[in-house]
Amino acid sequence: MQTETTQPVDMTRYVRQAGLWMIMLTLIAAAVYAMFSGDRDPQTTISDFSTRFLGIFIEAAPFLLLGSAVSGLLEVFVRREDIIRWLPKNPITATVGGAFMGFVFPVCECGVVPVTRRLFTKGLPMSVGVAFLLAAPVMNPIVLVSTFIAFENQPNQTELVALRFAITAIVAIGVGVIFAIAARPQEILRPVSFAPVAGGDGGKPDDNAFTDFKQPPRDMIASANPTLGNNLYRAIKVASYEFFEMGRFLVVGCLLAALMQTVVTQETLVNLGEGPLLSVIIMQALGFVLSVCSTVDAFLALAFTGTFSSGSILAFLTFGPMIDIKSTLMFAGVFKRKTVAYLILLPLLMTMLIGLWINLFTNI
Amino acid sequence: MQATDPVTQRPETTSAAVNPLDVLKVLVLFGLAVYFAYNIVSGNITNYINIRFDWLSYVAVFIFAMLGIGSAWALYRRDTDAGYSADAHEVSSLGWWTIIIVALPLVMGTLIPSRPLSVDAISGGVQLSVASANSAAAFSRDPLERNVLDWLRVFAGETTPSRFDGEQANIIGFVYREPDFPTGHFMVARFTVSCCVADAQPIGLPVYAPELLDDLVDGDWVEVNGAFEAAVFRDTKVPIIQADAITIVSQPEHPYLYP
Repeated sequence: MQTETTQPVDMTRYVRQAGLWMIMLTLIAAAVYAMFSGDRDPQTTISDFSTRFLGIFIEAAPFLLLGSAVSGLLEVFVRREDIIRWLPKNPITATVGGAFMGFVFPVCECGVVPVTRRLFTKGLPMSVGVAFLLAAPVMNPIVLVSTFIAFENQPNQTELVALRFAITAIVAIGVGVIFAIAARPQEILRPVSFAPVAGGDGGKPDDNAFTDFKQPPRDMIASANPTLGNNLYRAIKVASYEFFEMGRFLVVGCLLAALMQTVVTQETLVNLGEGPLLSVIIMQALGFVLSVCSTVDAFLALAFTGTFSSGSILAFLTFGPMIDIKSTLMFAGVFKRKTVAYLILLPLLMTMLIGLWINLFTNI
Repeated sequence: MQATDPVTQRPETTSAAVNPLDVLKVLVLFGLAVYFAYNIVSGNITNYINIRFDWLSYVAVFIFAMLGIGSAWALYRRDTDAGYSADAHEVSSLGWWTIIIVALPLVMGTLIPSRPLSVDAISGGVQLSVASANSAAAFSRDPLERNVLDWLRVFAGETTPSRFDGEQANIIGFVYREPDFPTGHFMVARFTVSCCVADAQPIGLPVYAPELLDDLVDGDWVEVNGAFEAAVFRDTKVPIIQADAITIVSQPEHPYLYP
């Protein structure tokens, strides 16, 4: 789906891409086989698949649209200087601030990607953006309220809500700090989401290497006629561009999630087993596969409170919003592949360890 | 660092010709707005998400329409193409693939008839129990008004299954059977949906109806009347409906139950 964005450079790249496609195709072939094998009527199989796919899309698309709209408004109404002025000078403080930015831009995991990408083009530092990207789907007022309501009748309501936020903050800030220490944006971001050229302000010498920028046209960014109406018109243009850019990843993510659910059902996962570690991993896998929006996933987690321990539920409530099938694909539109892998593995391990610790050593 | 892709180094576009991709883009945006609106109007939305979140679709219709109007205006003014010189290809770099992929939900939603998850979507068995949250609300409901989910919640709050012996129930669900069910038994099942069908979980109540069972096909929507009587089902003692009457009914307005 990204033929137009990939750059044929050298053979290893081709080989790696071919490998990735082979894995994808094998998975899809296996899924399709699983769907149509057995005595199920192909027509109902297609109908159920379509219902699942559209269900996920219909619930996620509005959030992506909201994110795109915010992204468009950001592009038009927020200047790079503003971002730099608002940011704390200390990179660690800034990263911590990034984790709490969800209270300024309340977005879920679909909406957060275009917003983060836009903020990167405005010169937001990597570590802050990563902390925001991982934390915002949980650390925003909407999710705070929905989690609180969902666990209303649970005896450990306060602990679950507090821990959901605390764990997310720890993981997001932790990963952000790792990025702050370890990496330069050029090594992490796909050129398309990379800052300086966006403003048309020349950019640093390094940036000249990137010629596959796919920024919205310049006059979307710097209008000669900055009236409010004109600004809103430009915001809409940026937002539609953003919707298509990210929407294709969302759609493919929804397709994969629907396929996965046909092959690996909830029941299969839930029946896999218990145990302090395995139950955490299972709930993480469930969060990844189901790809349910973070604004509503607490209601879903509620259904598992009888079956799973608090550590596992919390792993679901923290890892799921950060990483799932559709957000992984959307990350692929912003970051380079290796970075996407880190962005998945670090939160996976961190939430897993915290979940395990809660299961073993606490009584929540 | 990456090398230059020669393909993107296209010459400047000077003509004000309409790019077919920009037209498609406008069509897809309006198409999606209409599709989301149609889902609300036709009630098809209940096949996909918990109705508690239907406001999201209203938001989607509004934003899709705004984006569609903006893009149409840009198209009308040739704003998407002319005047951007070297940048023109960047808009168009929303290539064919992007448009096709984003249009996929529209295509599938239009071509494949909208239906709720079928009985075939159940692969791991139908749950006989639910977490007991909110059982108080279920208790306070008139027993004849309780649905499958309400009953399971009521059961979850009670340890002796025989306590419900003789209580009348009137429930609607679809017929679900497994090969190893004892003769004369089936389940009246429903899917619960917390957010969207991605999290659909099948739940059900066992029904005993030796004479009434013959004509029923799995997946048929039925209304079952009868009284509970505790008996062993799937190795546990649970309340089972002894059916007095089973009527085939049409699929309810809300096919899923919302926990």
